[in-house]
Amino acid sequence: MTETDPIKFRCQGVNVWYGQTHAIKDNDIDIHDKAVTAFIGPSGCGKSTFLRCLNRMNDTIDICRVSGSLLLDGEDIYSREIDPVQLRARVGMVFQKPNPFPKSIYDNVAYGPRIHGLARNKADLDVIVGESLGAAGLWDEVKDRLAAPGTGLSGGQQQRLCIARAIATKPEVLLMDEPCSALDPIATETVEELISGLGERYCVVIVTHSMQQANRISRRTAFFHLGNLVEYDTTDAIFSTPQDERTIGYVSGRFG
Amino acid sequence: MTEAATPPPDASFHSSEEAVARLKKRRSAETRLKLYGMIAIGLAALALVALLWNIVARTMNAATEHYIAIEAQIEPDEDDFLKVVKKSARASFPYVSGRTGKRELYGLFSDGAADDMRRAQEAGTLETGEAVPMRFLVSDTADLYMRGEFGALESQESAGGLTITEDGKKFVLRAQDKAFIDAVGRAKAGLAREADSLRQQAARQIAGITVQQARLDSVTGLEREDMLAQIDGFRKTRDRLEGQASALDALITGSGDTRLELTDRMASFFVMVNGGILKLTEVSADTALAVPLVPLDSADPVAGGAWTLRILDRPEVGRPVKDQQVAILETLQREGRIEEVANWKFFSLSDSTQPEIAGIKGALIGSLWTMLVTFSLAFPIGVMAAIYLEEFAPKNRFTDFIEVNINNLAAVPSIVFGLLGLAVFLNFFGVPRSSPLAGGLVLALMTLPTVIIAARAAIRAVPPSIRWAAMGIGASKTQTVFHHVLPLAMPGILTGTIIGMAQALGETAPLLMIGMVAFITAVPEGITDSATVLPVQVFNWANASERAFDMRTAAAIAVLLAFLVVMNAIAIILRKRFERRW
Repeated sequence: MTETDPIKFRCQGVNVWYGQTHAIKDNDIDIHDKAVTAFIGPSGCGKSTFLRCLNRMNDTIDICRVSGSLLLDGEDIYSREIDPVQLRARVGMVFQKPNPFPKSIYDNVAYGPRIHGLARNKADLDVIVGESLGAAGLWDEVKDRLAAPGTGLSGGQQQRLCIARAIATKPEVLLMDEPCSALDPIATETVEELISGLGERYCVVIVTHSMQQANRISRRTAFFHLGNLVEYDTTDAIFSTPQDERTIGYVSGRFG
Repeated sequence: MTEAATPPPDASFHSSEEAVARLKKRRSAETRLKLYGMIAIGLAALALVALLWNIVARTMNAATEHYIAIEAQIEPDEDDFLKVVKKSARASFPYVSGRTGKRELYGLFSDGAADDMRRAQEAGTLETGEAVPMRFLVSDTADLYMRGEFGALESQESAGGLTITEDGKKFVLRAQDKAFIDAVGRAKAGLAREADSLRQQAARQIAGITVQQARLDSVTGLEREDMLAQIDGFRKTRDRLEGQASALDALITGSGDTRLELTDRMASFFVMVNGGILKLTEVSADTALAVPLVPLDSADPVAGGAWTLRILDRPEVGRPVKDQQVAILETLQREGRIEEVANWKFFSLSDSTQPEIAGIKGALIGSLWTMLVTFSLAFPIGVMAAIYLEEFAPKNRFTDFIEVNINNLAAVPSIVFGLLGLAVFLNFFGVPRSSPLAGGLVLALMTLPTVIIAARAAIRAVPPSIRWAAMGIGASKTQTVFHHVLPLAMPGILTGTIIGMAQALGETAPLLMIGMVAFITAVPEGITDSATVLPVQVFNWANASERAFDMRTAAAIAVLLAFLVVMNAIAIILRKRFERRW
């Protein structure tokens, strides 16, 4: 395992329960900054649950309990001093289904900066919106219709709009929960390129069902199975020389 | 057909006779269902059309009012306009004499005529002088007569001539060609009705005799003698009534030559001749005795076609408008001095005991204030409660209990809220009785459950992905709710609110409990003034004995419906503005 990148998240002994169900079982993982980390595994293995622990989105589920230590830059994100609302501004999230607000494209992107007070005036805000849309590779497509509703865009454009919206709050980490599963292959390719690019500047964690996608865009891959982190290594290592039986089975397509 | 991967058990599985029969049955079931649906919708539409037609048709009667144009003598600093009306009436119709006649004359005019002049004086637009042309509002009975509510005045032209002989205060009329034969027939019909009613009274005496005779055996002594005397009295009355009936029968079967005396229980007969109006008091086939209601220009004999016999079939005793009034109104009508104008007064005046000057303004403004109070309480409280329950409240026994209670409150009879309002708002908090504030509070209580339930459903219908999106970029719970969830839920919330408000607008029962049924002639100027509301006004007018309130009731219902339409339109416009594509 190469240790060239600094560690962003250091997670130790993480357990998650949904009521009586033990969804994540005592897992340790270090997630590196300025790189794409992919979580793979069969359905129900806990990869999305783990992802949602990283920005405390699991808090919205009443019956969900999380234990263990999750340190973001050495700071426990489940400690009392951390405000989950503030945390989510630092750890942005993109969901499986594109979910732009039923507002204009501009307002979609400007919403985050507005509520966090990132822009002092309209000009500032315009700059942020432009940069974010540019970073999401959407600027050229929508620059002439910023007032059009975000819901009027195509699926791939909507997902990139959601990415732009997440970037606009200037997060340190981007969590992506199967961002391409609702998109067609061409849109998927565009979004994948975008994610690869973002990986050079942010800590990106992506959950995916597609091993090819993980292979294409991530530097490191973690394989989850039945709530256990089975294997975590560089993507090349996971796909070429997997150590665990289960990993071998999964990446070679024998189960999952 | 391509070969299926797994062939059906039998090649004809889906085309056998049984399968075809099943299909046919399914299709006919569907057709029947559609038919029932269409019938149901058709019936509902029919009922709606009938209702609207009825209301509109009756409202049209209240859309206009009648005025009499005569001259008035008005002093520059006049203060008793009721007297001016009477004076003008006497001056314009000098031939009306006697206390009854004058009372009937004054009865043509509404107190509203005096009110009009007073208002004109206050506005400084009242003309003064000896003979000012003036329009006087007619009374409710005169107005109803003009609308033909008491039957139309039938007209019988006669080809034969008519001679008129003055005989003291009366006139003797002799007509050719037995022109009065129809009048005699109608008079006889009146007599027959009277004879019938006498016989019915006699029959009641007979029934009394039978009852007392049956009890006769069980009593003795003085009591028995009393009873015998009573029976004797019944018999005498019966004989008298039957004798009267027989006398009427004799008149009816008698020839057309005997002169029949006309009473106020029979149709009224008027002869229009020589510019005047005579009323028949006795009639035979070719001669009649008559009294003048409107004086004749002359007593010259006239040729056929120059006079008419006019008949008002409803007996004078059975209608509030009297023969003298009919004569005056007919004369005015002929002279073109009766004007029918749009009834804008209905919207500028408030309730009154006199239907012709009763208006809807007080109730309309009252409803407006009440709805304002109801909305400004029920909407924010209801929406906030829904947001709390749906987004913030923990799910436990206590919130379950509250939820069950809110749902049950929506089904509580409205009068119970009235009782609550009476006990709590009026008696405990001392809110002014019959004020829009009290009414609005009670109706807000009644509307709250509806608003809360609708708002909760609308909030729940907002997709969770929107909440995640907002929370995922660091919006707080409150920001998520107010920036994203609430705007998206707003159309549904408004729909629920408008249902609640419409219910509140049409509510009568709880308002009766807090005194909004009171007779209030002033327009409320705030939420603490005494007021009434539209449905209560409808209720009051529908109960009023004056017939002219009938059409005003319909008009008030029309105003209520219009109010509802405007309220709904505002809600729909707001909803359209909030509605967004996903």
